[in-house]
Amino acid sequence: MSDWPLRFEAELVRLGVRPERARQLGAETAAQAGEHAADPDRFFGPAHLYARHLVTELQAPTAAVPSLPGPVMLRLTGVSKRYRRREVFSGVDLTVRGGEVAAIVGANGCGKSTLLRICAGLTHPTGGDVRRTRRVGFVPQDGGTAGWLTAEEHFTLFGAAAGMAPRKARSTGTHLASRLAWRPGRHQPVQDLSGGTRQKLNLVLGELHGPDLLLLDEPYQGFDQGSYLDFWRQVREWRDAGRAVVVVTHLLHELEDVDHVLDLGAHGGGDR
Amino acid sequence: MTPRPWLHGFLDLCLLAMLRDQPDYGYGLAQRLAAAGVADIPGGTLYPALLRLEQQGLASPSWAPSGSGPRRKYYAITPAGLDTLNAQAEEWRGFRDGVDALIGERVR
Repeated sequence: MSDWPLRFEAELVRLGVRPERARQLGAETAAQAGEHAADPDRFFGPAHLYARHLVTELQAPTAAVPSLPGPVMLRLTGVSKRYRRREVFSGVDLTVRGGEVAAIVGANGCGKSTLLRICAGLTHPTGGDVRRTRRVGFVPQDGGTAGWLTAEEHFTLFGAAAGMAPRKARSTGTHLASRLAWRPGRHQPVQDLSGGTRQKLNLVLGELHGPDLLLLDEPYQGFDQGSYLDFWRQVREWRDAGRAVVVVTHLLHELEDVDHVLDLGAHGGGDR
Repeated sequence: MTPRPWLHGFLDLCLLAMLRDQPDYGYGLAQRLAAAGVADIPGGTLYPALLRLEQQGLASPSWAPSGSGPRRKYYAITPAGLDTLNAQAEEWRGFRDGVDALIGERVR
């Protein structure tokens, strides 16, 4: 007998479903696959991913009513950054809760990527205070992948860093890729992928371990129009599932849909 | 059948309409949708939609034993479900007539 229902239940509980409700949903879901004489793993896909999908689906109707804000996932207070005598920005405040999307905007060179790295804990601020949740996913603008490894090898490697078993990391990665309309080739090294597809890989790697806070640095450069729409749909799904998303962008027409806009141009010391 | 991106918006309508005709369980509903030529619907789309109808009080569940496999969860439409069905059917007709008018007769 497979342990699919158990893993499904465990992920539901991790996503905030009450244990008795999770047990009930686990039993029902196994019975549903049984109706089709199918194994739940083949019928619904990996247990933890179907759990995330189901929670998102069940939350959808309440999304019309403004839901209560989730827990604070990221809080910046008076953050500043200075390189030698040049002040990049100062006095930056930002609070992002679960179920919210924040956009960091501003002209080139005003420090958007630097601020995102500070959010991720990859760069130290010169001043101010940064608090963040433990499970964080970071997607850089480019780079961050190893050209001679395949996509699957990246899934295994990044999964291992987050404590995931290789098989689970691979099946999760493949599934997340399919949501961006990408099917990774088994033997294709990443250096042979197009720039847009390498960005999809970065996006999948950032989400592989199911983080509560996603930090994205214009991850759609090189995407075609279809993938670009998939990306924003994905951002809304993350938000509806109660995650916090911070995205660096210069595309102002996307900002109607976000909860916070941080204009770094207004905080900067400017170019000089 | 290819997946239809717009089905998602009208799936609740289709499910409620089938439940109005008779109470049914998931597998039966999937078969009826396919037989009607509407969609081959994946389980990962169908079952969350049924649970949502239940949560919203539009369909009420009851368990019944089955001859062979595990017991089945049958859904019946509620009065609130009927109201929603009628409202959504009206929307659908408006949408369908609008698309028909845009397509016109010439493409036939």
